[in-house]
Amino acid sequence: MNYLLHILIMIGIYLILTQSLNILMGYTGLLSVCHAAFYGIGAYATTLLMMKFGINFFIAVFISIIISVVLSYIVSIPSLKLKGDYFVLSTIGFQSIIFSILYNWVSFTRGPYGIPGIPSPSIFGFTFADPSSYLILVLFFVIPVIIFTHLITSSQFGRVLKSIREDELAASSLGKDVYRFKLTAFAISAGIAAISGGLYACYLTYIDPTSFTISESLFLITIIAIGGSGNLKGPVVGSIVVIILPEILRFLNIPDTIAPNIRMMIYALALIIFMIYKPKGIAGEYGFE
Amino acid sequence: MNTIVELKNLTKSFGGVKAVDNVSMDFEKYRITALIGPNGAGKTTIFNIINGFIKPDKGQILFEGKDITGLPPHKITKKGIGRLFQDIRIFNKLTVLENVLVAIEGQSGENFSNAIFHRKKMIKEEKENIEKAKELLDFVKLSDKKDIFAENLSYGQQKLLSIARILAQDSKVLLLDEPTAGVNPVLIDSIIEVIKKLPQKEKTIILIEHNINVVLEISDWVFLLDEGKVASFGLPDEVLSDPVTREVYLGV
Repeated sequence: MNYLLHILIMIGIYLILTQSLNILMGYTGLLSVCHAAFYGIGAYATTLLMMKFGINFFIAVFISIIISVVLSYIVSIPSLKLKGDYFVLSTIGFQSIIFSILYNWVSFTRGPYGIPGIPSPSIFGFTFADPSSYLILVLFFVIPVIIFTHLITSSQFGRVLKSIREDELAASSLGKDVYRFKLTAFAISAGIAAISGGLYACYLTYIDPTSFTISESLFLITIIAIGGSGNLKGPVVGSIVVIILPEILRFLNIPDTIAPNIRMMIYALALIIFMIYKPKGIAGEYGFE
Repeated sequence: MNTIVELKNLTKSFGGVKAVDNVSMDFEKYRITALIGPNGAGKTTIFNIINGFIKPDKGQILFEGKDITGLPPHKITKKGIGRLFQDIRIFNKLTVLENVLVAIEGQSGENFSNAIFHRKKMIKEEKENIEKAKELLDFVKLSDKKDIFAENLSYGQQKLLSIARILAQDSKVLLLDEPTAGVNPVLIDSIIEVIKKLPQKEKTIILIEHNINVVLEISDWVFLLDEGKVASFGLPDEVLSDPVTREVYLGV
């Protein structure tokens, strides 16, 4: 039972990550390879605010959203002036910088030692410690995030994002300030990603920088490529499939030493197959090229 | 002459070649003015300068008497100059209706916080915009196609859609870059019919056109360009019967 709850909690956390990445990838057509950096910023900001300043989880998450949004502008203001591959490269740069900071600023983040003993979230004397209550907490964030992404993507704002994805030059000739729309989409996406960071940290009660590397960013892109982008279903399907898929390995009695490698191979294979045969993913509307 | 767009001594070079060389032009309000000339005469460059994609090396662009030189494209669009591209640039994965909707000016829900916190206002606005977009699609005879992805329209229909799209912007001046190029003859007639009606809707049209029959049929004024300069200007039949035109086009 706890195993099932664990899977559901992880799916919830990844839902928040992929929904937010989808705003960039699926709606605005921007390939960002630094989504895990904002995930990490959320995790570390929430953890440090709770442990160093004794701030309540919910307020800490709220503050880390703001921190993540502010930091997103540091990367987006210069890099969104660049086009295509150059934008991708600058997001890789930001991803590496954030990882280096988390890894090397030992006095503040404890670097490679990680931070153990992260307290469970609590509100009005109730603590979300056991898996079933934690799942409720995760849902408490997942549902608003999905409603929020639905509201923005189905709005006039979302339609402009799609038009930018289809043809930037045409969108700007229709009077849309493409740069500002991209900045906003990037900031929204970064802010939402921070939420999942906070949830992840308090769920595992331990974090270290290796959870927020570039491979995690690529993993998130894989989920979207498999599930599909440009609508709300795609990331939901992708998160469910990609989280459950490697669990099958557990039942095949594959030794723990090689399981992670096999998992990576399965993801890589799935990514290649989908890119070739089904670029729109399982349930997507937009084929990311 | 009641001028709406005025170009003064525009010059633009690309790597030493003068694509536009000291060009001055006046465009009359509510009239259709055609730019003709061989490839490389500088017609598309002039369009790119007017709508802000390219900054001129020298010279000025006046719109309704105000200097708009060097403004970014989206600001020039907001002032009332719309552009139809030669290669159409329709939004493929948006429906025909959405293509028109996205072009409408002043949508409050384009601000993302309004899209969430002032949802009612946006929805009300959206209803009016949909009515407006449907009327425009009626005008270009694409109403029955409104819910399909724009990529599924024929080439000519996409041209018509892009005309509807710039009309949705409420632009006063429309820059049409080869509206009939590559379109089958039946749809050329519908495009001509649509363009001819535009001056009655208080639109000023500037178009680049290679098809001489189309130029004769729809334009009020014609500029002939050659090697970045204005070679001739006047009424369509005047310019087209001008020996200079024969020389420029045929090299005789």
